[in-house]
Amino acid sequence: MSVKAFELVPAVERDLLMGDKARINIECIECCGKHLYVGTNDCFIHHFLLDEVTSSKGKLSYSAQKLLHKYLGLKKPVAELRAASALERLIVLCDGIVFLVDMVTLETVPSAAGGGAKIRGVTAFCINENPVNGDPFCVEMGVLSSKRRTVQIYMVYEDRVQLVKDVTTPEQPCAISLDGYFLCLALTTQYMILNYNTGASQDLFPYNSEERRPIVKRISREEFLLAAPGGLGMFANAEGVSQRAPVNWSESVIGAAVCFPYVVALDESFITIHSMLDQQLKQTLSFRDGHILQDFEGKVILASTKSVYVLVPLPLERQIQDLLASHRVEEALILTEGAQRNIPKDKFQILRKRILQQAGFIHFGQLQFLEAKEHFRKGQLDVRELISLYPLLLPASSSFTRCHPPLHEFADLNHLAQGDQEKVLRCKKFLITYLGEVRSTEVVNGCREDVDTALLKLYAEQDHDSLLDLLASDNACVLADSIPWLEKYHKYFALGLLYHYNGQDAAALQLWIRVVDGDLQDTTRSDLYEYIVDFLCSSSLDLIWKYADWALRKDPTIGVHVFTKRPVSKDQPELNPDDVISYLGKHSKALLLYMEHLVLERRIQKEKFHTHLAVLYLEKVLSLLSQTPIDKEQLTKARERLQALLRESNLYRVQFLLGKMENCEELLLERATLYGKLEEHDKALHILVHKLRDFPSAEAFCLWASSCRDSAYQQQLFHLLLGVYLDGNLPGTAAGSGDGDLEMAAVDLLNRHGEVFDAVRVLRMLPEGWSLQLLRPFLNRAVRASMHACRTSQIALGLAHSENLQLLHDRLKERKKPIFVSEKKGCHLCHNTFSEPGVVCLPGGVPVHTHCVAQRVRDSPTKRQLTNSSNHT
Amino acid sequence: MPDMSKMKKPDVKVVLLGDMNVGKTSLLHRYMERKFKDTVSTVGGAFFLKQWGPYNISIWDTAGREQFHGLGSMYCRGAAAVILTYDVTNWQSLAELEERFLSLTDTANHDCIYAIVGNKADLTDSKAHLSRDSDGQSENQTECEEGRTEPEVLSACPTPPASPASLSGLMLHKQVTREDAVALYGRILRYKGLEEKSSLPAEKMCFETSAKTGYNVDALFEALFDLVLPSILRKRHENQESPTVDLEECRGVSGKKARSSCC
Ligand SMILES: Nc1nc2c(ncn2[C@@H]2O[C@H](COP(=O)(O)OP(=O)(O)O)[C@@H](O)[C@H]2O)c(=O)[nH]1
Ligand SMILES: [Mg+2]
Repeated sequence: MSVKAFELVPAVERDLLMGDKARINIECIECCGKHLYVGTNDCFIHHFLLDEVTSSKGKLSYSAQKLLHKYLGLKKPVAELRAASALERLIVLCDGIVFLVDMVTLETVPSAAGGGAKIRGVTAFCINENPVNGDPFCVEMGVLSSKRRTVQIYMVYEDRVQLVKDVTTPEQPCAISLDGYFLCLALTTQYMILNYNTGASQDLFPYNSEERRPIVKRISREEFLLAAPGGLGMFANAEGVSQRAPVNWSESVIGAAVCFPYVVALDESFITIHSMLDQQLKQTLSFRDGHILQDFEGKVILASTKSVYVLVPLPLERQIQDLLASHRVEEALILTEGAQRNIPKDKFQILRKRILQQAGFIHFGQLQFLEAKEHFRKGQLDVRELISLYPLLLPASSSFTRCHPPLHEFADLNHLAQGDQEKVLRCKKFLITYLGEVRSTEVVNGCREDVDTALLKLYAEQDHDSLLDLLASDNACVLADSIPWLEKYHKYFALGLLYHYNGQDAAALQLWIRVVDGDLQDTTRSDLYEYIVDFLCSSSLDLIWKYADWALRKDPTIGVHVFTKRPVSKDQPELNPDDVISYLGKHSKALLLYMEHLVLERRIQKEKFHTHLAVLYLEKVLSLLSQTPIDKEQLTKARERLQALLRESNLYRVQFLLGKMENCEELLLERATLYGKLEEHDKALHILVHKLRDFPSAEAFCLWASSCRDSAYQQQLFHLLLGVYLDGNLPGTAAGSGDGDLEMAAVDLLNRHGEVFDAVRVLRMLPEGWSLQLLRPFLNRAVRASMHACRTSQIALGLAHSENLQLLHDRLKERKKPIFVSEKKGCHLCHNTFSEPGVVCLPGGVPVHTHCVAQRVRDSPTKRQLTNSSNHT
Repeated sequence: MPDMSKMKKPDVKVVLLGDMNVGKTSLLHRYMERKFKDTVSTVGGAFFLKQWGPYNISIWDTAGREQFHGLGSMYCRGAAAVILTYDVTNWQSLAELEERFLSLTDTANHDCIYAIVGNKADLTDSKAHLSRDSDGQSENQTECEEGRTEPEVLSACPTPPASPASLSGLMLHKQVTREDAVALYGRILRYKGLEEKSSLPAEKMCFETSAKTGYNVDALFEALFDLVLPSILRKRHENQESPTVDLEECRGVSGKKARSSCC
């Protein structure tokens, strides 16, 4: 479970520092940009210039150039060194004294006039990396002193130090870190956080600092890393809360630092590297005589007693790739997410996508499709990367090339499956679902052709139902590439759909016709013939003329749909019926159907069509009549159709048809109808009554022939029929044998349709000898009808009268104005005042006394009627 | 503060406490990964983030070892719920809760809720074999279980008697009864100075679980999450009302108190 996250690179070798002087040891280091300062136990400071050198193979090394070394004159080890680069000073702790040294000359800075530049009795100090003071030329420093249980806060200037705060601690502090106002302290028995501004404190956890060396390391704003009991590296923030899980060090940790996302720790013989992301130990480097581990502006530097090293992090990307190479997908992803803050945003997005895609392919290779899909989705994989794994799926026209470096190790699906067909199949099924899901999303922008074509091929190969759905809907399948593929799998129907989608209807039809004719095998549709006819209905005229013959020969009844079922729409040219009719000359059955379509369905009001249809019907009847034996049933049907048309249409050429059936004694009924059309009713009735002796038909004829006429016309027709019945025994007509029948027919007619007749005229026509009893229903009805008519007209008269009155009343009401009557007003006739509301108005609205007017009327010679009387007050 | 972790800041914290080997890590694994797998002794502590609806809940697994005991109060600081875990086959593990772990919860939120969980119920209770939570036993039955026949007698008797001599061949002795746990819960309320009437009832807060079979595990965590929701909402609400809470000030008050009681 290891990662190569860091490399240990020598920076300053022993020779350069102390040569062969065995007793000289490194005590402390400081690094500031390229400047490396090393403090030794013989009270020297060494100043090096550290240059990064990258070899042609990309290998990093350091070259150190010694600039200066300086004896500080105290004969004690240099315990700590800190650079204050803005001040160009090194803060040095040596022999319990903190003082300032020039960064360049390494000369001790003399005390300024106003104040000292030295602090005595110091055991440890730290710099505030998150200073509260805004002054850039001032460094904040926390100092621990040997004697007192206090922490002192100093401001360090170019040439002096100034005490700003003295904070008492409950126990002797022995390690310190500073962030803002927060002091993180290791006391003798515990760690604590102390706010030196407010004095608030927060115990963290117990730790025996005498037993084990405490570590207090600021790792980010208000967050610290602490050595905890049991060799733990604990995190704590300023509120005393741990927000990360601890890492497991050894008991003897000397130093620790964070180089995100890793925690680096040093003990006597190892450098351990834990991930902060998952707590795991990721790398161990052996390191003898380890002494110091510190990070300077993100650079981790280590020192043994004799030499200095830099711990160089390998690029995160490379670490992630290493993880992926060993299929540690989860770790790789965690590290990727963790890398977010180390990498510029846009670069990170690209990296993250790539890692997700690679992770997806690793899962895919293990047939973990759910995970694979999720990663592909998150990584916005170009689906063609996946498709390209499947041989031949991408269209030849595709411009796609796999990304480089490759996202996976597979040459293709066969390589991946190692010949296991079951695996291959599962992968194909996966691709089908995956492509099906993404094809309508923006993921496929710019490569729809490739995706749809691949999907089509898979569908065809796997005999998948969705093939037709794909082709029947909006798609981008590449035709040239799909043709051989669909042919290979005998998906001719589908191929036809694709031709159609690409505007090649002729090709589609040709193909389908070959299937129907049995030249090609494809069982997709058992009703392909009907499908083709349907398809032709809305095809171009060219195609219709080209394939109508084929369709009609297969089945005229269905084939004729090509002409009859054509949808009416603006963007399609219409068929010219005359063209169709002449085209259908050889297809009599279809022609009949087409004429029926024109006349009966579309109700086209053209003499030509109606006559044509009538002639076709008539010819059919005649041909049936000429057969022996006669098919009664068929004949009846054919005649019914003919008769219906003759009755209902008013457009056909009557004389022409009449001529065609002149000699045909079987078609008397039809002839009667035609006479009716010619209004030669006597001829018609003659045929019906005398030739056919079909009285119900005669009656029906009268009703039909008068159906759109007024009642007088109808009456006349009925009288005509009555006449024909009654004149039955006139010379020149058929033999008198049935005269009784005619009389009975006359009686029946009268009794049934009495209301139509003019009773008076009928009575005059009837033979004298007929009994009253015989005609009773007729007479009853006639009397009642006449009574009824009389009364009805009286009522109508009354109603009209009253309506007239009402209108008159309304008119007057409209005209009149209010008429005022009061005690002060006088009557125009007698000039006395009114004492009662009841008055009479003269025309013009003049009120007068009732009695005065009565008097006047009595006196007046004309006795004029007064029309208005009202009660106004 | 720059976010150095891979995850979002949690809204609320839940802490598992209890002696080592009672099964805290296993419980958390079972809940988070739906598996019962071999655990290594937890070093220091570990935590998981659980997405619960729109909220992020951090669940801390702590180390029961004495060595790490000092860290307990830090983990509990600001906790909204503490799960005090014991092992039903080990009386001492319950006693330790009161003796060692209860005091660690002093740093938890004032409205922190407490659950008492007796784990390894599968060892004493046949009903705990039938995973009461969704998924379960099948994939994770381990070899030790195979030799064991389902003790049908027990199903009639959900809480086995204190000394089931006749059954001891099959089942381990249950050293801690539910009543013991309920009694402890009462004492915890007293320790916290809480009224029994106004607190969550013991029946609701005492669980018997099995990380091995999954018995009651989801029920435990889900019940707790539902109960800490108000705490989340309150916290969010507070943050909304004054987006810049002055922590200095808050801490100042409690800090002074701590100081004065200390010096
Ligand atoms: N039979 C059984 N064993 C369990 C159960 N939970 C944990 N264990 C075992 O108890 C031991 C300690 O578990 P662990 O989760 O590490 O306990 P922790 O120290 O509290 O984290 C391990 O060997 C687990 O296999 C359980 O529910 N039933
Ligand atoms: Mg554990």
